[in-house]
Amino acid sequence: MDWHILWEYRAALFSGLVVTVWISALGIAGSTVVGVVIGCLGSTPSFYLRKLTSAYTELLRNLPLLVKVFFFYFVLSMPTIPAALLGLVLHQSAYIADVTGAGLRSVARGQLDAGLALGHGYWQVFRYVILPQAVRIVIPPMTTQYVAVIKNSSIVALIAVQDLTYQTQEINVETFRGFEAATAATVLYIVVALTVIGSMTLLQRRVLTR
Amino acid sequence: MIEGRPGLWRRLQSPRAKLLVWWIGCGVALLLALRAVSSLDWGAIRNSWLFLLTGLGRSWLLAIISILAGGLAAAPLALARVYGPPGIRQAAIALIECVRATPELMIVFWVYFTLPIVTGNQVSSWNAALGSLSVIAAVYLAEVFRAGLYSVPRGQIEASAATGMSALATFLYVVLPQAVRNMVPALIAQLVGLFKTTSLVYAIGVMEFFRSITVTNNAVFAPYELYLVLALGYFVSCFAITRVVRWFDPKYQLLE
Repeated sequence: MDWHILWEYRAALFSGLVVTVWISALGIAGSTVVGVVIGCLGSTPSFYLRKLTSAYTELLRNLPLLVKVFFFYFVLSMPTIPAALLGLVLHQSAYIADVTGAGLRSVARGQLDAGLALGHGYWQVFRYVILPQAVRIVIPPMTTQYVAVIKNSSIVALIAVQDLTYQTQEINVETFRGFEAATAATVLYIVVALTVIGSMTLLQRRVLTR
Repeated sequence: MIEGRPGLWRRLQSPRAKLLVWWIGCGVALLLALRAVSSLDWGAIRNSWLFLLTGLGRSWLLAIISILAGGLAAAPLALARVYGPPGIRQAAIALIECVRATPELMIVFWVYFTLPIVTGNQVSSWNAALGSLSVIAAVYLAEVFRAGLYSVPRGQIEASAATGMSALATFLYVVLPQAVRNMVPALIAQLVGLFKTTSLVYAIGVMEFFRSITVTNNAVFAPYELYLVLALGYFVSCFAITRVVRWFDPKYQLLE
């Protein structure tokens, strides 16, 4: 084993880390927006909206991410980074929609009825009664989803986005030190994941104390 | 005021009518899709369907073997995490959490790079794929087992202690039977996740479903047809497993 190689390739590893971080950040932001909107639409009383959103989640959850990313890249011949991001967002938004829907359903139905009986509109009840309660419930499963985005972002290396996994492979090709490179990348991935988990825990504490 | 016959719009509001409209919509969408599909050129698929089917079979084989191997490894891991003495317990937690925080693709590379160092000779990509998928299955199943063990109410354990049962007897005759029953849906759901993960061993050159599609595409270039088959293969397989889950537990809704 030769750990010296990591110091030699520190620039490559760092640039890979930067790419991984910003792809994950954009993926998290995009899939949260799309997923929350779809989750909310899915828990409205409308029959057709519910059916359509459940078709969306079923379809996207049952296809591997790799299939989506390759489809956008090779079949629709999109550039690498938009293909990677679109794949990530479509994949994770289906899971986030499910999490959101479960969070909204977990707020007792009587609260909605009580709000409506008091003469508030549907939107008002949703904004001031259901949403604040649902946010608290949703934060821990949302953290799991965000960590999953970071983990899944490694797949974009297979369409030559130069992220951490890609740099690991490059180091392996150039020096045959795959073991050391993979160790370093794994440690970096765990650090990024821990950062996200830590900040979500802080967020939850702030939401709970409010 | 005399009520007339309800108008068409009113009648379309009943749940049964809505369901009917939904299925008609699905039918129309299916017909449009079929029309689009029939205009594609299926010659490439006709010549290589056996090859593609073998690939799909390999994916299923990978998923099933590795979930069985993973399950065997997961049992001691989960027991160590729940009942282990202090040192072993923390070691199990660290191992499970570290592997769970690592991207699946990295684990595949890891096992592929590390196995030759450990065993001292060349490891085929099929074995490396089986190894890495088993590792992934083991840590995720360990968490499922742990959740199952915790799902048995504490009062039951106290009750059996109060009736004079030993700790081992409590575990074997009270905790385990209930835990296993509670675990079944989550276990089968893990199989869906693992089946999708098998697509990643494409990266180390195993000729599973995903790779057989891309190889065929490189040879004959029919991306639309082949990717349609690819999506259909994965969707039907995963959807079938999710339906089996619903069969076991009507309350099961989302657990991946």
